[in-house]
Amino acid sequence: MRAPAERTLCCWCPDWPVATARRRDPGLAGAPVAVVGSGDPGSRPSRGPVVCAASAEARAEGVVVGLRRREAEARCPGLVVLDADPAAEARAFEAVARATEPITPRIELVRPGLLSFPTRGPSRYFGGDAALARRVLEAVAGVGVVDARVGVADGAFAARLAARRATDEPCVVAPGASAAFLADWPVETLAPTFEGGADFAHLLVRLGLHTLGAFAALPAGAVLTRFGPDGARVHRLACGHDDEVAVLVAPPPELVETCELDPPATRVDEAAFAAKGLADRLLARLDESGLSCTQVVIEAETEHGERVSRCWRHEGVLTPTALVARVRWQLEAWLTSSTRPGEDDEGRVDDATGGLVLVRVLPDRVVPATGRQLGFWGGDAAAGDRADRALARLQGMLGHDAVVTGVVAGGRSPVERIRWVPWGEPRDPGPAGVEAPGWPGAVPGPAPARVHDPPVPAALLDAAGRPVVVSGRGEASAPPARLECAALPEGGGPVLAWVGPWPHDLRWWDLPTRRRRALWQVVVGRATDTGVACLVAVEQGTASVEAVYD
Amino acid sequence: MAERALTEPIIEPAIEPVEPVVEPVVRGSLPRRDTEALAHLTDAARRARPVVLARDRVLPVPGTLGALLPDGALRRGEVVTVEGDVGTGATSIALAFAAAATATGEWAAAVCVERSSSRVAGDLGAEAALEAGVALERLAVVRRVPPTRWATAVAALLDGVSLVLAEVPRHARAADARRLVARARERGAVLVPVCAPGVPWPADAALRVRAAGGPWPGLGAGDGLLSERAVRVNVVGRGEARRARAGTAGARAPVSLAAAG
Repeated sequence: MRAPAERTLCCWCPDWPVATARRRDPGLAGAPVAVVGSGDPGSRPSRGPVVCAASAEARAEGVVVGLRRREAEARCPGLVVLDADPAAEARAFEAVARATEPITPRIELVRPGLLSFPTRGPSRYFGGDAALARRVLEAVAGVGVVDARVGVADGAFAARLAARRATDEPCVVAPGASAAFLADWPVETLAPTFEGGADFAHLLVRLGLHTLGAFAALPAGAVLTRFGPDGARVHRLACGHDDEVAVLVAPPPELVETCELDPPATRVDEAAFAAKGLADRLLARLDESGLSCTQVVIEAETEHGERVSRCWRHEGVLTPTALVARVRWQLEAWLTSSTRPGEDDEGRVDDATGGLVLVRVLPDRVVPATGRQLGFWGGDAAAGDRADRALARLQGMLGHDAVVTGVVAGGRSPVERIRWVPWGEPRDPGPAGVEAPGWPGAVPGPAPARVHDPPVPAALLDAAGRPVVVSGRGEASAPPARLECAALPEGGGPVLAWVGPWPHDLRWWDLPTRRRRALWQVVVGRATDTGVACLVAVEQGTASVEAVYD
Repeated sequence: MAERALTEPIIEPAIEPVEPVVEPVVRGSLPRRDTEALAHLTDAARRARPVVLARDRVLPVPGTLGALLPDGALRRGEVVTVEGDVGTGATSIALAFAAAATATGEWAAAVCVERSSSRVAGDLGAEAALEAGVALERLAVVRRVPPTRWATAVAALLDGVSLVLAEVPRHARAADARRLVARARERGAVLVPVCAPGVPWPADAALRVRAAGGPWPGLGAGDGLLSERAVRVNVVGRGEARRARAGTAGARAPVSLAAAG
């Protein structure tokens, strides 16, 4: 027995990551911009960083979502590529959410840039769906977002597609006409609805079903047999029904997890660390009851009594990482937001003036859990969990980017070849170990064990005591005879052996960031037995030690 | 403590047998306990109980570096200090130990102390770790730890990972160090304090590995390339591994594998 699909309004701010970047840096307006990231935290990264949003100018050049960074740069030469910053996006979107709050309290945020809410009450109050949609557009335009699109339809999935089709005028799909509306859309729109959706859409295309209408025409029983419960779920979506399982489970009232912070947390990191324990406990208890959660309400309260409450909706089931990420976004958005002058904040959400004392997570919509298929060669999960807990605890103590793991990236000097990724963020798979093809221009030989970032100032002197300089053609003024540096034992010493200079001309095409430097490998010491080998960089006449081969 | 030849198998003394439980018989209501059968059973259980010898709980270290260690491995729960001046190969040895830990699928962590102006030691090179055989996804580096929180950070890591490389800060307290030694023993993790010259490890350690550098033969005056070197390593042990072993060893790259002494 299925409940009829709930009429939902969806407000979509297209290319929200790009809009956030443009707000931060007004010089980017009008330039082709692409934001590169790995997608939703908590979902497994598929191929490394891909474009997740592109501005209209970039799209005109052929940059689409899903391209890798180099491909995007190849298609659009003047492209400005920025890294995704989900926390900043969530912070900026908080203003939009607050602007919509006077219309209805039951806002559901799917991700920064996309919010939806059921329209039964507000629609009656404002006199119809179209009037409500225009009201939302006005409210959102009031905070400076002029390109929002609003769509109203039966069910959240159809409403999202209606928002895509909308232009300046909101797109309202008549009640009951969702199935006809959805029929023309391609099956790739099913890709974000569950994990593995992209492969599923690809499979449907190979089977000859290119549109949602063709997919919806299949009998439901046959779809369930062939594709399983996930396939049956998206089949219901394609038919215009709502995304609910047959039995809507009401969350048991005792499944609220609360975390009291004493002393009050003033930094988002501390609160997010506490929230991690909360998320683990909540999802473990839901697991025990055989449920998984698709929508949560996150509440936070400060010591002065201000509180904020937001409902976050998630495609598919929430993992602990995704839940903690949303808590972090909400807290960052709340704690670091500042009211702009002239903004009429009606006091519904008070700005935080003190530390956080309470974080509460309530599961709002739960579905029966279908379980998760773990890999066969799972590895030692227990050791990984123990390490994860210890490292997360250290992160809470020392800061988010104090605990890092290394990823070998491409680059010429040892400093550039390392990228430190904070714990908990997805590691983009680098080249496969040392078998990767060499980076052209990289320093040859073994990798140094100690890398100085930033490089330590040094003095590379020739036999006459003058600093060694390298001309524009890559010729050294004199062979080096002495290296002095604070990073070396005894402050340096005579040079026993050396090779170089290896000139590097970095970013020669971009005048402001062009750098020309030369690298030397130098062995310094008093006796050949106790020489210290290091990598010296000479740039514009000044030398510095970049790495020591320890 | 008498020195035992390393070839003799080490047998742990058996733990005291458990007294067979003899319950008072309540006449008239419970059946009598068969105390004789119970005694037989406890005896059989004691003999059949699996015993893990201390020497089996190890992290094997491959290569000539492992050949210098007693049993060719690092014992879990022990403290192995690595000492050496800048450029002598101490970091490569520490990375080789980390590689031994991550090779079996376990986790390792490295703690780097916040730089003060007088101590310039540099950060760990991730590429060098990769060349030494460390699985980078299982090596966590904790950076810029203030010296006051160093002990808590290392203690937290000992709870979670199997091997901790800890740079010892300048004025580390002996009490903290002793507590860390006890915690490592309790959790069965290997603690590897990396000591710069002039900053000793204030507590005791089962093994002290000292790197003494070596010549770099590949480089000439304006030609050649850094390729290999043989690092001289001195290993001093306490107790069973009391004999000091000296020899040349090295990590996979940049050092060659010369014969051990």
